[in-house]
Amino acid sequence: MKTIPSLLTSLLAIAASGTLLSACASDPPAPTAALDAARLAITTAERSEAGRYAAGDLAEARTRLSMADSAVAQKQMVQAERFANESRTDAELASATTAQTKAQAVNAEMQHSNGTLIEEIQRNDGVAQ
Amino acid sequence: MNVTSSGTTGYKVLIAAAMASALLGACAVAPVEPSGAAEARAKLTRLQENPNLSGRAPAAIADAAAAVQLAEQPQADPALGEYRVYIAERKIDIASAQAQTRFLEDQRAALVAQRQNVRLDARTREADAAHAEAAAAHEDAAVANANAAVLAAQAAELQRQIQMLDLRVTQRGLVLTLGDVLFATARADLRSGGTAHLDKLVDFLNRYPDRTVRVEGYTDSVGSVAYNEDLSQRRADSVRGYLRSQGIDAGRLTAAGMGENDPVAGNDTASGRQQNRRVEIIISNPAVAALQ
Repeated sequence: MKTIPSLLTSLLAIAASGTLLSACASDPPAPTAALDAARLAITTAERSEAGRYAAGDLAEARTRLSMADSAVAQKQMVQAERFANESRTDAELASATTAQTKAQAVNAEMQHSNGTLIEEIQRNDGVAQ
Repeated sequence: MNVTSSGTTGYKVLIAAAMASALLGACAVAPVEPSGAAEARAKLTRLQENPNLSGRAPAAIADAAAAVQLAEQPQADPALGEYRVYIAERKIDIASAQAQTRFLEDQRAALVAQRQNVRLDARTREADAAHAEAAAAHEDAAVANANAAVLAAQAAELQRQIQMLDLRVTQRGLVLTLGDVLFATARADLRSGGTAHLDKLVDFLNRYPDRTVRVEGYTDSVGSVAYNEDLSQRRADSVRGYLRSQGIDAGRLTAAGMGENDPVAGNDTASGRQQNRRVEIIISNPAVAALQ
């Protein structure tokens, strides 16, 4: 009479621990969409000359993409997806920073040329008067 | 057996329970807000409160806000929390860069407008300067015309004076010849009543103060050369003295006795000798001749 509840209890306990194990260490398929998005973001950043204007962020994006690939190889798919998403935001930041730096350069050039124009006019006025 | 097996089962239960609790413990510690989430929230708030940036990248800022909210969720798995904070931080930076870019693009319109204003200003000033130059040229021409008119009037006035005084225009200057009526024979003092012509000369010299005067006395050939030179000198001095007495500055006046030199007619006739007895008054031309 005593053995059956004991067996049940032990079975239940094993089943419970199994469930918990599977909840904790899921093994989903490779995060293909996240990896593709990261690669696309890196390509976009490279095309916008991020290598010149945001080299640090672009390098970070490439590093995390290769970390994501390594994690896939080791079947650590959750980790792989996180690395892929991080890589993508790094690349997107590289693109955004590049656009900002370029816009700043254009404005600075315009400010400089406006300043030169004003100086030139003032010099001409000085000659004329 | 039963007791033994039940004892073994009891151990198994304990081990299973311990395993389960260990697994549970590993999986679910007390959930806390991931470290760095508060910093991310503060950074997002700064971006949202920046009046130049908050409205300029609404989609990216909303994306960042969602990421921050996710990162703030109490998290038992530190790695997941760290990951979410990392993503949130990057998304805030992306939103900020996009807003800054848009802000710079908006400023560009103002820079273009500034450039156009500067150019327009310059053209306006150039036009003003051209106007001023034209006006100045007009003024110069008017002044030149006025000067020319003044010079013409002066020349006409001088001409009138020359005619009135019966002056001869020569290389040496304007020459006034006074006949021997000024003096009695062999005398050097001026006859009273003979000075009317000299008074006109005084007027003329007062009118043209930059002209100097040389008074030259001449005689005929009657008498000795020495006597004639002395007489002509005294007569010239007499005229010079008269001019001084009328207020002409001595520095403008010189006198010379030429004796019987430079006759203007023959000394063999009475009329010729009369012409030779004379005083010539040479009025210098001014440095810049008015008559040309």
